[in-house]
Amino acid sequence: MGVVLQMPVVLAALLGGALLTLLLERTLLQRTQTEPGPAAAVDYRHAVDPPNADRWLYPAGPVLALLGVALATVVIPFGPNLIGEDLGIGVFYFIVVVDFVVLGIALGGWGANTPDAVEACYRIVAQLVAYVIPLGLALVGAIMMAESLSTVAIVEAQTGLWYIVLQPIGFVLYLITGLMQAYRAPFLEPFAASIQQGVLHTSGGWQAMAWRMALSGVLFVVAAMGAVLFLGGWQGPLLPGPVWMLLKTYGLMALMLWLGTRVRLRSTAQMLALSWKVLIPVGLVNVLIVGMLILLGVGTA
Amino acid sequence: MILGPVAQIVAFSLCALIAIAGALGMATTMSMFRSGIFLMASFIGVAGLFILLSADLLGLLQVMMYIGGMLVMILFMVLFSHDPGGAMMAGMQLPIIEKFFSLGLLPREQKQEEQSQHAGNGHQPMEQNGQDDHAGHADHGDQDAEQNGHDEHAGQNGHGGHEDHEDHEHHEHMDMSMTTPIKKPAAVLAVLVGVILVGLLLLRPAWPIVAATPNPNSAEMVGHLLMGKYMLAFEGAGLLILIGIFGAVFLARAGHFPDERGREARVAVDAQPTAPEAPALQPVADADPPDAAELVGVTEIQTRRNLEKDGRGEQ
Repeated sequence: MGVVLQMPVVLAALLGGALLTLLLERTLLQRTQTEPGPAAAVDYRHAVDPPNADRWLYPAGPVLALLGVALATVVIPFGPNLIGEDLGIGVFYFIVVVDFVVLGIALGGWGANTPDAVEACYRIVAQLVAYVIPLGLALVGAIMMAESLSTVAIVEAQTGLWYIVLQPIGFVLYLITGLMQAYRAPFLEPFAASIQQGVLHTSGGWQAMAWRMALSGVLFVVAAMGAVLFLGGWQGPLLPGPVWMLLKTYGLMALMLWLGTRVRLRSTAQMLALSWKVLIPVGLVNVLIVGMLILLGVGTA
Repeated sequence: MILGPVAQIVAFSLCALIAIAGALGMATTMSMFRSGIFLMASFIGVAGLFILLSADLLGLLQVMMYIGGMLVMILFMVLFSHDPGGAMMAGMQLPIIEKFFSLGLLPREQKQEEQSQHAGNGHQPMEQNGQDDHAGHADHGDQDAEQNGHDEHAGQNGHGGHEDHEDHEHHEHMDMSMTTPIKKPAAVLAVLVGVILVGLLLLRPAWPIVAATPNPNSAEMVGHLLMGKYMLAFEGAGLLILIGIFGAVFLARAGHFPDERGREARVAVDAQPTAPEAPALQPVADADPPDAAELVGVTEIQTRRNLEKDGRGEQ
């Protein structure tokens, strides 16, 4: 596949995935009646023109966020040969490009230059500091067992047994840090109602559309990466690969969102405390346990 | 993925452009926040060059380090910065490059008629002053201030015709540190060093060309090198970082800087929304005065928030 053909296909996958994500999230939110966070309603019809905006950074925010999510979609495999590009360092690439969403929200928040949006900018950076290390530790377990950073190789290494069975701690860690990475409850501080959903409130028109796609897309790619790392990706009996992949992705997403609504919302400070005092030590223990399992010959081919 | 020669040149030009324009913007823009972002863009452009050279792991590491690190660094810089958004400085009369990289920094109200401004200026506390002074200035027609502004400009830039009157309201706020006398010699020195370095690169007699293709699995190779040949340096760096973390924890240990009350009002959540207000119900005689004042602040913030929400609901 040439790049010209790859790009529209990957973008279409992202759009479809984000749309389904939005539908699922809206349905869940209606049932649970919790704070919507990044899924809050936005105004697509009217552009917002903040008077004090930095007029370069303000429009750059949603563009960068969407770019990051689109780049992340490239390495997600939906079938044995159904992947944008099987990069040798796929999982690491994924972590890096999802950071562009944080950068986009920081730029959009600062650029809009209203107190709420600037507050969102500060909060999103603090949240990045909170989740990025435990997220990495959660991924390291899967990478160690598969002995590869390539997403396709990780899925193929789980042919016999999914990693959720071998690394339950890593899976729980991924659930928590995934929610942080996707800014969903209980970690929706940058999009809290108390600051009017941060950047969403100061965006309208095409920017609101781009934010919607980026913020739904980030949950989609996070859930899809979780399915790839811990649930065996496209593998499963009877049904074709892509169907399994979608089922696992949205199943995992529903589980994450539902679990998220079960607990009280956390502030950024609480997130940082949770990260440093609980998640990072647990992540290190997980890496140790996985290392011992590998030495015992469990889970490796 | 192997690129064709044309695609390689296009990708190289793009990355090089981002790297150079980013560096130029970093040095010339008036907004400190933008400056940090431009620096980040410059490093990301260099990361693109790494990836073009088949060092994909190195390139991505660079992107990760600079997005996370630079964002945190920018936030700390904003804490200590006088005018991080650059709205004040951008109103000055600037040379062409600095003007270009500072485009779009001026608040809209300054161009239009005076509007009653609410909200906004989250990070530009000086902005309000600028507005007020401007109004006063317009009323009195303060000739002296204008004159001073002219003299300063003529002295610094040395290119006569300053007929551009649109930015004059900011002259009295000019930060003279922008135009120190050392600026010109420093620029000449920098250009000289740059010319010498580029000249050395170009005049180097022969660049050896190796036929070997780089190993596509760079992560594995880097891993083996870090855990083998360079293990001591790697572990040493790890130890240094650990000591750094210990130091940070020691300096920021609890009890020294109690949390500010006012922030609680803006934190997301609120399973118990009454928590911050509860002490206010005590008799005034029991509460000690500064505490009570703080609590008034909290309630004010909350009322303002409610008002804002209501206003928005009506729209």
